[in-house]
Amino acid sequence: MTAHVPFVAPDVETIIQGMTGRTGRRHAQLMRAYGTRIVAGVSPKSDSDEVDGVPVFKNCIEAVAATGAAASVAMVPPLAVLAAVREAVAAGIKLIVTIAEGMPVRDAVAALELVRAAGVRWVGPSTPGLAIPGRLKLGFLPDVSLAPGPLGIMAKSGTLSYEVCHRLVGRGLGQSLWVGVGGDTVKGTRFADILPCMLTDPHTHGIVVIGEIGGSEEEELAAAMRAHRCGKPVYALIAGRTAREGITMGHAGAMIAGDVGTIASKTQALAGAGAQVFTRIRDLVDAVASGIGTAKGNNTCS
Amino acid sequence: MMLLEHDAKELLAADGVPVPAGVLATAADVELPASLAGPWMVKAQVPVGGRGKAGGIKRADTIAELGQTLGVLLGKTIKGQAVRACRIEQCVEGMECYLSVSLDASRGRLRVLLSSQGGVDVEAQAGRVLSAEVALAQRETIDAASRLADTIASPARATMVRAAERLIAMFFEFEATLLEVNPLFIRPNGSWVAGDLKLVIDDNALVRQPRLRDLIQRRADAYPDIALKMNHGFDFVVVDPDGEIGLVTTGAGLSMQMLDELAERGHPAFNFCDIRTGQLRGDPTRLIHVFRWIAAGRRVRSVLINFFAGITHLGEVAHLLVAALKAVPELRVPVTARLIGNGYDEAIAVFAAASNPLRVEPDLDRAIELALAPLTGARP
Repeated sequence: MTAHVPFVAPDVETIIQGMTGRTGRRHAQLMRAYGTRIVAGVSPKSDSDEVDGVPVFKNCIEAVAATGAAASVAMVPPLAVLAAVREAVAAGIKLIVTIAEGMPVRDAVAALELVRAAGVRWVGPSTPGLAIPGRLKLGFLPDVSLAPGPLGIMAKSGTLSYEVCHRLVGRGLGQSLWVGVGGDTVKGTRFADILPCMLTDPHTHGIVVIGEIGGSEEEELAAAMRAHRCGKPVYALIAGRTAREGITMGHAGAMIAGDVGTIASKTQALAGAGAQVFTRIRDLVDAVASGIGTAKGNNTCS
Repeated sequence: MMLLEHDAKELLAADGVPVPAGVLATAADVELPASLAGPWMVKAQVPVGGRGKAGGIKRADTIAELGQTLGVLLGKTIKGQAVRACRIEQCVEGMECYLSVSLDASRGRLRVLLSSQGGVDVEAQAGRVLSAEVALAQRETIDAASRLADTIASPARATMVRAAERLIAMFFEFEATLLEVNPLFIRPNGSWVAGDLKLVIDDNALVRQPRLRDLIQRRADAYPDIALKMNHGFDFVVVDPDGEIGLVTTGAGLSMQMLDELAERGHPAFNFCDIRTGQLRGDPTRLIHVFRWIAAGRRVRSVLINFFAGITHLGEVAHLLVAALKAVPELRVPVTARLIGNGYDEAIAVFAAASNPLRVEPDLDRAIELALAPLTGARP
């Protein structure tokens, strides 16, 4: 078995880019209340040098130099995300989560080139963030759906994952790691990128995938499951059966084009790689409860 | 979002891309300008690929045939899309080539495809289509296309390179994610014409694309969903005009899943909706719009609200719902609300005090059953 490299350290020191804005300040408070170590805020325009007891710096370089932070949550508007990523990467941040929805694709490609060149992990754009329940929250996954437990969650949709996890928590099944990858087409972290962490993590006994129509991420995940000889049960829910070709369903990435991105293609790929694929939330929750509820602690992971 | 062929052609023609002369027709008794002599191609305007194979592109040689063809195509449904307009354009002849530039989202790079044998069946001759992958940069993309064109015999090669330069410039100008020209006609006199043109644009880039915004506003009838998003800041899509359940939902994934679950139970929803409760900020305007649009659904008999509020307080949401329902008296069907998040008890109290007939239910499956009851006659 490969040594486990965690997706993120639960005690990672974190800065908030855009912390003095309305949203940034509120979410910084909530993340701190959850246990996340918020060590600094960044705001180029702020006159104040602290907010709610957290020091505020003019830029990421100063913030990282003063605190040694390795993670950042960017709470900036969509057209400012690329600059925020550039600044964080230049400051030596190793994990950046960008929340904003509506980042232009050109900007996302440029950001992707930056983080790849620097070996930085980027989660986003358009994501509610990620969490190691009970220990760390980077973003705003709702507390009502979070609980420590055996499931690795990867999700394109925020709200659909809140719903699914809320029900699973109601059945006594929490999460070891939850990563919202966002509903855009070009993004920093894709389903397949998360799989190795979840496969080697001894606390993850099953993987829940919240997918949707559009793009090829589910198909890439299926290929990765084969390549890694995935030995953990994978349960997938794919939304958008009723969507028509050419119509964007809320998420920029949720558009069927020709034969690419269809439910049929995704279902076939995932099922072929050994995943159980569901169309109803209730059926997925029942299957996870009966599968993981009994297999927990008696797991053979590759 | 995919632009309709007609709009993509008018847009790019204004920037020097040669396209066949054409007009848009929304009725069979169209009056053509004298300059637009036949024979014509009549092309259904729907935002999907494979229109030709699906019977959406026909040739007409006489005015009588043209009217007949329009009569057949207008009102037809292609891949779930009603044909509301056709582009009528002059037939063009020449060597049929192919060029496309597309963003490979998984790699964050561009793919350039080029062939000297385009046409309807270009997908079938994969071996003859040349391909290159490049970084998202205009010069590199043009250079890659020029190299691919080396296989085309002169003098057509030089024309192809000129066409590629112009088209790739357009791809970058409009922040497209796909630009496909098939066929790209190359003529013996060294001219070229974009026979068919497919342009997919990045909705997220519209904020800095004034010409595309202007196009969508002018043609709001053809792009109701994106025009609505531009004007109101959230998503609402009429999925089935005959749908019986109106959805007031937040979150794209959960809204899509609701559509699926309702369809599976045999009751197609009227609409998709991602209202974004986090952006309401004490203002019921978005809710009022959504209730009005749903009330306009001719067969809507039930409304289902589903808010999974991560941060937003449900007490505040309840006040907004009460205010919005009061503002839309024309909505006379039963309303079921599935609410979850902080402040549930306060929300119940708000509804009770407003003596609002809204039914509240914290469990989604039970809320769906409640919302379906008026349709099935079942007692929930």
